Amino acid sequence: MVFNRQRDLLDMVRNFAHFFVHESCGFCTPCRVGCSLMKDLIDKVHAGHAGQYDLDEINNIGILMRTTSHCGLGTTAANPMLDTLNKLPEIYQNRLKHSSYEPAFDLDAALQDARDITGRDDPGAHIGTES
Amino acid sequence: MNTSKTFKLDGKTVPFEDGDTIMDAALRAGEYIPHLCHNPEFTPHGSCRVCIVAANGRQVSACTQPAAEGIEVENSTEQIMSQRRTLLQMLFVEGNHICPGCEKSGACQLQAVAYYTNMLSPHFTHFFPQRSVDASHKDIAIDFDRCILCELCVRASRDFDHKNVFAIDGRGINSHLVINSASGKLGDSSFSASDKAAHVCPVGAILPKHKGYEKPIGERLYDRKPISVVGDVAAHDQDQEQ
Repeated sequence: MVFNRQRDLLDMVRNFAHFFVHESCGFCTPCRVGCSLMKDLIDKVHAGHAGQYDLDEINNIGILMRTTSHCGLGTTAANPMLDTLNKLPEIYQNRLKHSSYEPAFDLDAALQDARDITGRDDPGAHIGTES
Repeated sequence: MNTSKTFKLDGKTVPFEDGDTIMDAALRAGEYIPHLCHNPEFTPHGSCRVCIVAANGRQVSACTQPAAEGIEVENSTEQIMSQRRTLLQMLFVEGNHICPGCEKSGACQLQAVAYYTNMLSPHFTHFFPQRSVDASHKDIAIDFDRCILCELCVRASRDFDHKNVFAIDGRGINSHLVINSASGKLGDSSFSASDKAAHVCPVGAILPKHKGYEKPIGERLYDRKPISVVGDVAAHDQDQEQ
């Protein structure tokens, strides 16, 4: 495949991940469940909530799909992720936060309801803000 | 009977006959290969992938792979066991498997194989699908939360009972068990508690009504010995009924 420099390759990977969730027939476990797990993890990277741990998970799930799936669709569905992780790791690394673990949601934003209820907005009512 | 043909399973010599799969020959020789969708009475299916083995280094499902002279099959290596563990974790997070509250706990093949492969947590994020219970039949209830899509009830109803009560509908992660009746309810189908299909479910999806939690913890099928010694749930169905 040929892309120009403006193309965000993670968008391409994400498109593949969503495509294969739809395309899996659901017969065997690794493809049926693996495609969905993969889609969630790629979305997590795309949203900027992923850490190195998630990249390792993508790799592990991809290898399992490749080795244990029933048919050729399952064995190759993870290729877009495995190949880009191997050859273009920067498209993932650029989206990572720095820690090895990141929650799937914004911790500080999740506290907004509690802040509204208590009427607090002091530094002690925030989490993870550097100041 | 030609027993001169053999292959190696984890270094042990296993005899096989023409037409045997790796699973057939191993089970006959008393060697356990973990499995869920396989039942020796039915045509092999190969969908759960839990019986994955390495035959001459290539990953195949033992229940569908024909045995061949002289092949080297790896069944219990850490790599194979780790793959099985991950497949089981996938099955656990895909449905709603709440072992502590499940009637089948202790006599469930999914749970027993998970223990056998040393699965200690579901690991992945739960999908928490929304599925309902079908309690419309007078003798049998179906809890779709626990279905692992092994299609044993589908095969039993089609090939043994000749009723075609069950089928898998939908695609991919939306695959689900459906019932062949106008309303989609089990009570309106021709299903009966004496059907073969009522006695093959490896998990707690198809359960007899009017009794429950009859066997105390400590006396259930897999409470004292692992599945590698006890064998499948379906093979003990008569004991369970008593």
